[in-house]
This record gives sequence, structure tokens and C-alpha cells, in this order.
Amino acid sequence: MDSSEVEFLAEKETVKIIPNFSLDRIYLIGGDLGPFNPGLPVDVPVWLALNLKQRQKCRIVPPAWMDVEKLEEMRELERKEDTFTPVPSPYYMELTKLLLNYASDNIPKADEIRTLVKDIWDTRIAKLRLSADSFISQLEAHAKLDNLTLMEINTIRAFLLDSLNCMYKLRSNLQPGSSKGQFTDY
Amino acid sequence: MPCERKPMRYGHSEGHTEVCFDDSGKFIVTCGNDGDVRIWEGLDDDDPKFITVGEKAYSLALKNGKLVTASSNNTVQIHTFPDGDPDGILTRFTTNATHVVFNSSGSRVAAGSSDFMVKVVEVSDSSQQKTLRGHEAPVLSVTFDPKDDFLASASCDGSVVVWNIEEQSQLISWPVLQKTNDISNAKSLCRLAWQPGTAKFLAVPVETKVHLYERGSWDHVSTLSDDLQTQLINVVAWSPCGQFLAAGSVGGSLTVWDVNSKLCVERQKHEKGFTVCSLAWHPSGSQIVYTDTEGCLGLLDGLSTPTPNTNTTKQAPATKAAKDYDDLFDDDDDDRLMDEGLSETNSPVKKPVAGDDDDDDDFLMPATGRVRNRGAILDDENSLDTGSLKLGQDKFGDDDDTGSAVVPAAVPLVPMRPVYEGPMPTAPQKAFQPGSTPAHLTHRFMMWNSVGIVRGYNDEQDNAIDVEFHDTAVHHAMHLTNSLGHTMADLSQEAVLLACPSTDELASKLQCLHFSSWDTNKEWMVDLPEGEDVRALCLGQGWAAVATSALMLRLFSIGGVQREIFSLPGNVVCMVGHGEQLLIVYHRAPGFDGEQALGVQLLQFGRKKRQLINGEALPLSLQSHLSWLGFTAEGTPCYVDSVGVVRMLNRSLGNTWTPVCNTRETCKSKSDHYWVVGIHENPQQLRCIPCKGSRYPPTLPRPAVAILPFKLPLCQTSTEKGQMEEQFWRSVLFHNHFSFLSSSGYEIDEDGQSQSQKEQQELLMKMFALSCKLEREFRCVELAELMTQNVVTLAIRYASRSRRMALAQRLSEIALEKANQIREDEPEEEEEEPAYSGVRRTSGYSQSEVMEERRGNTRDQEEEEEQGEELREEEEDGQEMETEEAAETTKRVNPFAKEAVSSVTPSLTPIGKVGRANPFKVLGSGKPSSSSGQPRVTNILDNMTSSRKLSPLSRSAGKPGKDPVLKPLAPRPKTKTQSTLLQMNATKAASKKTQENTQPAADQQKQPEVPPPASPADNTENNRPKTGFQFWLEENRKSITADQPDLEETDIIKEAMGRFRTLSAEERLLWTERAKGQTGDAADLKKRKRAGGGVENDNGQVEADENSSKKKKSLDPSSKLSAFAFNKT
Repeated sequence: MDSSEVEFLAEKETVKIIPNFSLDRIYLIGGDLGPFNPGLPVDVPVWLALNLKQRQKCRIVPPAWMDVEKLEEMRELERKEDTFTPVPSPYYMELTKLLLNYASDNIPKADEIRTLVKDIWDTRIAKLRLSADSFISQLEAHAKLDNLTLMEINTIRAFLLDSLNCMYKLRSNLQPGSSKGQFTDY
Repeated sequence: MPCERKPMRYGHSEGHTEVCFDDSGKFIVTCGNDGDVRIWEGLDDDDPKFITVGEKAYSLALKNGKLVTASSNNTVQIHTFPDGDPDGILTRFTTNATHVVFNSSGSRVAAGSSDFMVKVVEVSDSSQQKTLRGHEAPVLSVTFDPKDDFLASASCDGSVVVWNIEEQSQLISWPVLQKTNDISNAKSLCRLAWQPGTAKFLAVPVETKVHLYERGSWDHVSTLSDDLQTQLINVVAWSPCGQFLAAGSVGGSLTVWDVNSKLCVERQKHEKGFTVCSLAWHPSGSQIVYTDTEGCLGLLDGLSTPTPNTNTTKQAPATKAAKDYDDLFDDDDDDRLMDEGLSETNSPVKKPVAGDDDDDDDFLMPATGRVRNRGAILDDENSLDTGSLKLGQDKFGDDDDTGSAVVPAAVPLVPMRPVYEGPMPTAPQKAFQPGSTPAHLTHRFMMWNSVGIVRGYNDEQDNAIDVEFHDTAVHHAMHLTNSLGHTMADLSQEAVLLACPSTDELASKLQCLHFSSWDTNKEWMVDLPEGEDVRALCLGQGWAAVATSALMLRLFSIGGVQREIFSLPGNVVCMVGHGEQLLIVYHRAPGFDGEQALGVQLLQFGRKKRQLINGEALPLSLQSHLSWLGFTAEGTPCYVDSVGVVRMLNRSLGNTWTPVCNTRETCKSKSDHYWVVGIHENPQQLRCIPCKGSRYPPTLPRPAVAILPFKLPLCQTSTEKGQMEEQFWRSVLFHNHFSFLSSSGYEIDEDGQSQSQKEQQELLMKMFALSCKLEREFRCVELAELMTQNVVTLAIRYASRSRRMALAQRLSEIALEKANQIREDEPEEEEEEPAYSGVRRTSGYSQSEVMEERRGNTRDQEEEEEQGEELREEEEDGQEMETEEAAETTKRVNPFAKEAVSSVTPSLTPIGKVGRANPFKVLGSGKPSSSSGQPRVTNILDNMTSSRKLSPLSRSAGKPGKDPVLKPLAPRPKTKTQSTLLQMNATKAASKKTQENTQPAADQQKQPEVPPPASPADNTENNRPKTGFQFWLEENRKSITADQPDLEETDIIKEAMGRFRTLSAEERLLWTERAKGQTGDAADLKKRKRAGGGVENDNGQVEADENSSKKKKSLDPSSKLSAFAFNKT
């Protein structure tokens, strides 16, 4: 799975926009959208929001969690806890990136938010690496990681699987005669 | 005796407070409820020395460096003064002492107590005590005879007693006071005072007067009174010279009398009207200190009493009298000025005090403001300063002409100043623009309405106005420099209207940016006549209105032509326009006790100019003021008061105002408010901005609009019954606009209307079922009265199924009545406007007909174009129905690109609207006709509007053999409920009695041009789909009439129904088939089509899949209803 595919999935998330045009309800396969009343907030998928925003047809109302104070709290919590803390949105990274790239003028303190989300992301990825490391070094057969987002799983999946495969091959080559239950050294 | 009243200062915590001067007059000494004795070096001393004497100090006396206090531990203590060292306990009581005094030499102390006793103690030897027993209630106050022979005391038992100290006996007792059981209940503290020096008089405050008793004879020799003194006197004190007597009252007035002349020489008023509980003269006689029960300390300075000079009293009056009178007037002036400063009301013009005349005027001027002080000043500290400032200034002038003032002696005795104690008028609320935040803010919304936002910036860098439109299709955003200082704005689809108040050089200006003008001049400006200021303004469709300070309403056309002018009955509060309607709210009269008395006028321009509401009172919640006024998007006036209650005009109930929402109920905290920006009736939306902790939203960050639901404040909305009732009446109320719009010639959203009627009928049916369940048959019948005839038939079925035959019987009577009513109403309705509300369906139908008739002509012309459009749309629709995927490709046509193109012409051209059709949507988009001049482009409703209407029109147009003139009046689809109900009735024949009546009646409505319903069935047979029963009836009518020739028409049908039902199923089917075969009527088809293929595509596929549609025959909405009915049984 590609990260662009994850981003594509993230675009299905809804976000509030304030349109500056008037349009009746529109009927799409994915569901009905609208009606659009100028000046009245309406929930639409991110892809539509961004499309409208780029054509200056709306203002995007940032999601409630996209707020400096809340993100700061979240960052502190994330740093304090050893495990992964629940994230505000399963697509927080993607949404932040998308919204800040295309609608930074509608989001107060966009730069701070960008930094904060990046911080959270970095902390989480570091934790992920750490846990992968301990997973391998302690020769565990399985691990349980809660509150991981799709994007995070996606970043580590390719590498982790490949390397585990690799290690498996190496090990079976090194000790062809030994019993299968023995995983002593690498 | 001009004196200066110094501002009060905090002395002690709340409660009884006493004050005295020390012997030298250098210190002011106070004691209070906090148990401290404070020693002030003057009134301005911010760091007084204090001595703590107990938990509470009730009284104090000071002489010869000894401070005696009565404290809460039931003792009378001595402290040294000014050091404050404790010097022993003088005496004890069984309860606390209430008043302590020294004798003139300072050798003895007298103390009165709550245990009914008075003790006289030698200061040097506290063992030498004399106890005076005889009071039968707590002692209020004590005072020594300056010659040390006697002692006077007042008690709660109502008596004032003079004691012989040596004999410890009562000399005389006067029962002059009111009896109470405790000091805390006593109206007056009744502090007695014995004239110093000669000791001739004992002053006793008795109610509002002071009685003077002569020493020795103990006669009541005179009374000091003042006409202005209306409150009980609490405390009296002699000046050190013995010539003047000062009194402080419960109401806070301070009065000084000259005892010889018995004239009041000084009047002052406590600045907040609190009770004066203690007062003391400065040893020099030039100052009086006083304290109130709130613990504050005040001072009167500059009392020019002569130094003790008892010998000259005989000569004094002649020269002094005049002087005293002057003083009197000065006082009055002072008071008046003070009042002006305090009450901030428009009191009469201030006159410089220059001569006699002025003095007289001032004196006779009824100063009702005086009493108002008490209430007004409570929260107004600043104005006090200005009051006292003026006071000081005035004194200069007075001093100059004291000599020239000659006043008749009688003047001070003239009764004057009636005291007004009734309800106080409220300050009228200022004019405002609804949807604006206060003008004093540097960044403010000058207008937020359904069209857009006007923001005003007024800070150091910038004085500008930003205009932004919600719908950018209306116009692009504008940025204007605000060089004229506009403070008011309004915004519509056509123009921005701005106005500024007049300045010293410039007149009040009105500026209009008419951006929708098609010529190159997009702006005009008008100067108002001199002295006239714009107070409120608004924009309507094609006009602008301005209300001015001269109680004038000026109407301009949007292009700047002056049109109408008329006078307003009162100062305008605010004004709004919508379409052709103008709503004005003004002050009808002064309101009282926090209420505003507002009147409202609703005018309608356009072809028929008229006044719909003629200056009726605008109902507001108690103690509130108007905070928003506007129209719903559909054109119903509504407003919000400061308590958060939203009220809407109920046109169907004689233009009454119905509360529809209380925004405060949804607020989380007390200080949160909702700032209303718009109201929509369909869908029911209250658009407002939540403001956390404020009444107004800030401009940044940009506030987001929230939507609140409406809720009528009906009783018991927690119960199912209450909920349904609330829903029903809300639905009725919020669909009143249909009848208004149609009656004023606008196009209405028939789909929405039928939807709402269906909703209402469904609710009625639910309520009916509920009442049935609860065995409330009478209520059932009441509900049935509200139902339409068709739903009544359903109700009958429900009733009969649940075995309530009596109910069913009654219902069928109602049904019959309703059917007759419809028939009777028919001919009238064709001619005149219906007078019904939307409650009953009958009016709904007829209204749409009226409307149809009105716009009939214009319709014809448009029809050709519309049909073209319609066809294209239908094609699209059809495609979509056939293959979903094909439709998907069509959808890919960018709707927004199309939107953008079409939105270039935001105005009301109907064709342009068609171009805005949304290809995503299965429905066609709306086309408001040009005949309706409604600026409702932004309204979502519009898109829904009339899409349904077009189909029947085009169909009827396409039908050959139809008179083109009648096109608009051709059969049109009725509400779904009805049509399907009809169908159902016909086939199932559930109701024998009414069913046949229903159909002709309904059909007649479709054709209002047909003659009166003498024989309804005959008239309509040609045009409408026939049921199998009707065919059968045609064939068999003769036989029935032959059998029973005396039958009425309805009875024939009844009879026929009975017979038809006796036929076998196959036979009936045969008839039905026949009926189908003969009538290829589109309307019939349509019904079936709708039922099968959903709500949309009425006639799009009529040609396309006529055959297939025949199979689908179900009765969706009514089957819902009937299913419901079954469920309930």
C-alpha cells in the first residue's frame, strides 16, 4: 500500500466548510452532499472541500482537534506515555498535511499546528521503531500495538516485513541443521 | 449656611456604625460592626489607627482621653485615647449595651442596655454604679443632662424617660415612640440629645419631627420639622454652641435647624440614601461627621455656625433670617444639580443662580428627581463626583449675591416637592441596526444578514468598511475607506446602504452602493436636512428606507429617487425590509420598571400599498429589550429580545406573535448568548452565532454560524402527546408563509407545502392513534376536526378496526361535513382570496389556484422556453434512471463549473436559474418565475421550488386538444397523500359514505373553472382517470335510480358502492381493467409511476416506459400511514 493510497482514503473524511455559493443537495454514489447555503457550515468530504477551496468556493473550518492548545496537550501526553495514545483522527497526519497545504489561510496558527503535528508524528514513529526493535531483539512472535494509524503502519510495514523475511532467510541459511525452535543469535 | 458635602468613604464593614470627634476636634473616631475603633486624622486619612475592642462595637463615647465602648461581650470597656491601651472594664450587662455616653465633665458614663437597664458609672471608680430600672424593653439611647442632675433615656417600649440620677427614679415618661420588641426591629434609634450649655432643651426625635422638651417643666415646648423631611429621624445632635440641632434620618437626609428661629438652615442628603445612624459635631461647630448603616463615613464641612454665643440670639433672627433663606436656596440648588448629575436624565435646563427670580424658580421647581436619586445613584459612583464638582462651582456664584437675595419669609414654609414613589420610567433603548455589534467597538460587524457581512474597522491605522457576500455570485467582496464615518449599514442582493450621523460641519449622509445597477454609476449619496440624523436604515427589494431623528421615515428607490415620506409615531428602534415589506419598531411610550414600550408597524409596498400592522404593541419578555428584528427568508416578521426569546408573526391568528424558540435554553452557561443572524422557516432553522461569555461575537476569529431548532413552549413537551402537539403546531405555524406568499402573488414551493401538509396530517393521525389508545374518544373527534377529509377516512378505518364504532360513526359525520364544506367553498374561492389558514387543506389548494390564476398570463409566455429546458432535463433524468453507470458519467460533468457560469447572473431571471440545474441531482432545479419579484436566490428553497410544478404544466401543454388558455389551470398533481389516498379509497372502498364525494370534490379543485358542483361527477368524468367502480356506476346508475328513484346523489353512490362490493373479485377486476384500458390519462400514469419509481421523474418517462410502469402500482405514502394504523391496532 502506498502512502498516496492512504491519503486517498483520508480524503473520504468529512470536514466542515462554509460555502460561498448556493447549490441544492447533490447526489453521489458515496452519499448525498449538501445542500450548500452560502454562509452556512456544511459537512463534506475532504476531497470536495479541497477542490472547492482551490477554486475559492468555500472556507474550510478546521476540525476541532486542529487547535494549538489541544495538540500541545496531545503532544505532552504522547511524550509522557510509553504506549501509543489515541489520536484525534485516524488520518490526523494526512488531514493536517492536506488542509495546511491547501487551506492554510483558513486555519489560525497554521505553522504552529504543522510543527505540533510533526512533533506528535515523530514521537510516535520513534516509539514504533523502538517497539519494532525490541520486538526483534526479544524474539517475540507477536506484539500488540494499539492506536496506530494506517499511515503509521504503512510507513513501517514495507521495511519491517522485508527485514523480517531477510532475517529469516539468513537464519535458516546459517543453521541449516539446527532445530526450528532455536532462535538464539543473529 | 453653605456647606460642602464631602464624598463618603469606607469606614467599617456593613452594619451599625458610630462616630464622634475627640475633644480637640483633631480626630474622628468611629466604631463599627467589625469590632474596631478607628481613629481618623481627617476624612482623607487612608491609614487610620485602630483599636480592636471586641467582635462588634455597638457604641462609643470619648472624653478626656478615655474611650468607652460597648462591645459584643456585654461589657462596657475603657481604652486610653489615642493610644488604645485597655483600661479596664467599666461595667457589665447581661446582654450587650446599646448606647454609651459621657456626661459633660467626663466623670460619669451612662450606658443603656438590651436588658432594659440603664447604668450610670463613675469613670474613676467603676464600683460606684447607679442602676436605673423601669424600662420594659431594650434601651435605645441615653443622654446626660449637662448639669448632671438628670438622665434621659429612650426605650423600645415606646417611652422616653427622664430620670433623677441621684434618686434613681423616673421623673417623667413620655410615650411618644413606637413600641417594638428589640433594637433590631426599632424603626428609629431615637438618639436623644440634651442641649449643651444652658441645658434648656431635651431634643427627642419623634418620627419625622424633633420634639423639644423644656428642662424643669418638662413641657413639650416646640417641634422642629421640615416639610422635606419625610423619613423617620434616627439621630439628633446639638451643635456645641447649643443653637443648632442636626438630625439624621433613616432615609439618609441630614437636616440642621436653628433652634431659636425653628427654621431649617441646612439640608443635605446622604449620597446613597442609606440610613444615618450616628452623627457628631466638630467642637468648633463647623463640621458634622456622620456614618451610615453600611459602615461609610461622611462629613459636612463649612457649616458657618457662629461660635457659642447664646447672648446674641435675640438679635440674630433679623439679620440671620435672610441669610438662612439664602442658604436654603443654595441647598436646593445643590440638590438639584446633584440630581442632574446623578440621574443622567434630561432635567430642566440649568440656570445660573444669579438673582431672586432664579432663586424662586429653582425653589418652586418640582424636583421629582430628588427621590429618584436613591435608586439611580446606587451603581453610579462617577457621577457623584461631577455632582459635587458642580456643587463647588455653584457656591462661588452664590456667595457673590447672597446679599442681594431678598426672599419673602413665607417661602420656606410653602409645601413643595410632592414625593413620587411610583414606578420609575426605564431609559428607552437606543436605535440599532439588527445584526450589528455595538458602535463603540473598534472592530465590529455593521451588518450580518443572509446576504453577507459588513465589517467596520476603526482603529489608529485604518477606518474602513469591508463588505463580503456569503454567496460570491452576488458580488465580489468590497473594501471601502470610511472617510465619512459611517456607523450604520445594510446589505441586500442589490446594494449596500451606509449612513453616518451628522457632525458639526457635515450633515448626516446616506450613501448607497448600488452594485447591481446596470449603468456605470454604481453609487449615490444623499444629505439629510440639517438637524436630522439617520437613526436606522434598511433595504428592501428595489427600495431603501431611512428613519431619522426627526421622527421621519424617508423612502428612496434603490436608484436614488425620493419616493415616500411619512412621520413615525415615536423614536425608531430599528427597521428591516424584505421584498416589499417594511417592518418598523419604535418607542410607543416610555416604559416603566425595566420594560420597553415598543410599537410595530408593518407596511407593504408594491402594487397594493397598505399597512398590515398598524402600530400595535410589540410583546417583549419581562424586563427585556429588543435585540434583533428581521424577516425569515420566507418573509415572516420575527424578532428576538434580550432574554433570548424568538417570536414570529402568526398571520393566521390575526397577526399575533408566537414565541418559537428560547435561545437561552440551549446556552451552556449563563453568560453565553446566541447572536441571531437569520431565520428560515423551511427548513426550520434559526441561524445564530454562539458567543461564549458575551452578547456579541468578535470579528476575529471569524465566528461560525450554528443552527438551532425551534420549539414552541407548549406544556408537557416531555410526553409523547406534548411532543406531537408541539410538532404539529410548529409545522402549522412554520407553513403559514405559504398562504401569505401565495396571497401576495408569489410563487410558492408546492412540493414543500404538500410535504408539510402530509407531515401535519401524519402527526394528526399519530395523535389520533394515541388518543384512541388512551380511550379519549372525544379528543379523537377533536383531532379529526383538524384532519383533511381523506385522513378522516383513514381515521374511520382505524377506529372501526379498533372496534370503536361510536367513534367511527361520529367521524363519518365529520367526514361528510367536510366533504360538503369543500363543495360549498369551491365557488367562492374561485373569486376571492381564501381566508383560511394552512390548517385545513382546503385553503391550501385554493390558494395555489389563486396563485395559478394570477400568474397565468406570464406563465404562458414562459412556457415555451421552459418546456425546452424541461425536455433537456428530462432526458438527463431518464438516462440516469436507466443505467446507474451512465448516469455516473453524466455526473462527472463538473457541476461547479456550471454553477460558476450560471452564477454570473445572480439576479432573478428565470431562465438563468434553469441553467443552474445540478446534473447530479435527479430532480430538476427550481425556476422561480419572474412574476415573483422575490430576492430569494440564495435560498435553498428556491431550488426546490416549482420544479414539481413544471412537470404538470408541460404535460398539460403537451396534451392535444386542450385549450391553451387553461393550461396553467390544468390538472396538477395534488399532494401525494391525497392522490394515493384517493386511489386507495377507490379500490378498497373502505369508506362507503364519503369516498365518492371525495373524488369529485378533489377533482373539482383541479379544475376551478368548472361550474358549481351540482353534479360533480359528471363534470369531471371526462378529464380524469376513471376507476372501475365509476365505470360500473355509469352502467348501473340507471338501474339504481330505477330501483330507488327518491335517492339523493350521495345516497345513490352509497347504494352503488354496496352493490359494487357484492360483485365477485373477478368481476370487479374486469371493471378495473376496463377503466385502465379506456383512460390513458397521464395523471393516472403518473401516480403509478411515482409510486413505483420514486418521487422524481413525474412525466419524464411517461412516453418512455409507459408499459412497464403499469405493473408498479403501490401506494407508498398512504400505505405508510395505513401500515402505521395497523401497527397501532
